[in-house]
Amino acid sequence: MENLFLLLDGFQVVFTLQNVLVTLLGAVLGLIVGAMPGVGSLAGVALLLPLTYRFNPTTAIIMLGALYYSNMYGGSFSAILLNIPGDTPAVMTALDGYPMAMKRKRPGQALFTSNISSFVGGLIGMLILTFMGPALADLGLKFGPAEMTALLLVAMTSIGWLVGKNPTKGVVLTLVGILIATMGMDTLTGSPRYNFGSMYLLGGIPFTPFVIGSVGFAQVLKLVSEKNNKVEAHLEEKLTIKGSLLTRHELRRLLPPALRSGFLGTFVGVLPGAGATTGSFLGYALQKSFKSEEELGTGAIEGVAACEAANNAAAAGSFAPLLALGIPGSGTGAVLLGGLMMWGLNPGPLLFSTQPDFCWGLISSLFLANLLTLMIALLIIPFLIKILTVPIKLMIPAITVICIVGAYSTSNSMYGVLVMFVSGVLGFVLDRNGYSTAPMLLSFVLAPLLESNMRKAFIISRGSIGIFFDKPISLVLMLILFAIILTPIVRGVVTKIQGSKG
Amino acid sequence: METKKSFGVRMLIPILTAVFGIVFLFLGLTQYGFWHELRGPLPGFFPTLVGIVLVIISALALFQSFKDPARPVPMENWLPAVGALGIILGTLVFGMLFSIIAFLIIWIRYYEKYSWKTTITTTLILVAIVVGVFMFWLQVPFPKGLILDAFAY
Repeated sequence: MENLFLLLDGFQVVFTLQNVLVTLLGAVLGLIVGAMPGVGSLAGVALLLPLTYRFNPTTAIIMLGALYYSNMYGGSFSAILLNIPGDTPAVMTALDGYPMAMKRKRPGQALFTSNISSFVGGLIGMLILTFMGPALADLGLKFGPAEMTALLLVAMTSIGWLVGKNPTKGVVLTLVGILIATMGMDTLTGSPRYNFGSMYLLGGIPFTPFVIGSVGFAQVLKLVSEKNNKVEAHLEEKLTIKGSLLTRHELRRLLPPALRSGFLGTFVGVLPGAGATTGSFLGYALQKSFKSEEELGTGAIEGVAACEAANNAAAAGSFAPLLALGIPGSGTGAVLLGGLMMWGLNPGPLLFSTQPDFCWGLISSLFLANLLTLMIALLIIPFLIKILTVPIKLMIPAITVICIVGAYSTSNSMYGVLVMFVSGVLGFVLDRNGYSTAPMLLSFVLAPLLESNMRKAFIISRGSIGIFFDKPISLVLMLILFAIILTPIVRGVVTKIQGSKG
Repeated sequence: METKKSFGVRMLIPILTAVFGIVFLFLGLTQYGFWHELRGPLPGFFPTLVGIVLVIISALALFQSFKDPARPVPMENWLPAVGALGIILGTLVFGMLFSIIAFLIIWIRYYEKYSWKTTITTTLILVAIVVGVFMFWLQVPFPKGLILDAFAY
């Protein structure tokens, strides 16, 4: 009950004209960027990060939260109308969304289903976040340096291990991200380290240009290969809001899968590395074990509802470990965490007690963003085709310019632009060779926390590694860590043995 | 063209990450220090540990990379990077705004062969966003370049 009162206090923080307008702006921009095929939520949030510089920290983070959250809505639009998922969670939406739009000739209803399910899933995720966030923070308060080190190692390894096709490559970039983060100053003693005599490197690698480059500019270089793909929607009728409405029966069909996936997605979102994509996949898989009026994969409302509710619930659920433990569940979460840190906020167990206004303000702003995004998402249905069919040929120079100006604006110096350029080129080369950059961003953000906790743990134990196995929490976390590392290795060996026998 | 067996970027990446790890490891041990009897871990402690693991994992990635198919990058993919480099260099002489406008016109009109109408409309929209959002709203002082700076004095 106390949490509900705190949430109401949070609404008092949010309901200023500036914060409501900023939430609206974040929702509109996030929706548009998320809808554009080929941009995706990670690049979208990274490119829009500099826009928050104008505000005070609370307003800035409210805008970032709205941006992140509305991006999840937008990804499904191109999946439904063009069969091109705007981001990876929307891959599952395309399975039923596109056939519903084209074969069943009900594109408006597919969009409506997606929007309502996203709203329901997100709402469930936010309600659980309201109760689980502080509880998770209470648990986090019991964590000493050894437990935090173990938890951070689990988070980093699981994301490095799970994102991308090759776990080894994920871990390589996780480690590279950690080393890049150690450049500049030693976090504990403040002495210069790995700056190679450069005055610029003394301040470390700046976060925003690094993210804009390795995600946004790398995406531009990638888009060149797709620039000749014609983006066309083969719709026979114009999309209208009235023509997109669902019947009462269809709403009844939508609700059970949306509710089930909402709960499932939230808990998936809490796990590091799982995130919205896994949530969407599991939501769809869960729906397969239930009855659907139309067969899944042929344009069933239940299919669209299940994955959309799950991915939005996962996006909301991922805020719980982000705020309560300072651990993001995905690359986009890492950008958000970087944004929080940029504003001098240190997410972790103490945040709920030291910055309650901020925490509850952010959580309540997610409720507001969910509602506003739903309204805007329904209102822009008639204009979606125009937004989605912006030629990639024009998006390439446009995003290039935004990357350069955005990187410059973070430091008002060309150093930021150079960091963006170099990290963009490297990010593209790495991505092209199967190295996903998301683990690198995550470890870059978390490395200072990992280092300070690990060093403190070793100071307490006087160099003994036993500190990580002495207490139950850290012991369990270390066992999880070993399981994460060993499972793919054992699975690979078993597959090889079975292959040689077969 | 790079074949599956020939040496390529996919093998170069783990080699470079291993070198990166070795540099951090070496500097950590020789310059920043690893462990102090009384003070415990020194500034080089953490990067050295990470460097060691990176070298080992990079060796594993190198071994695996021989099985990866080669994915050569078409030259065209580098054009936005050339364009961005053009803006960076142009900014030093002509200023950022002018360089951005020149890049947009060259790209849209002469590379993508769009009509002047599309070129001017797109350029105007983007310049309006850059000036409106970054210059006026965020109050970012864009570099004016050597030429305008010379006139200013």
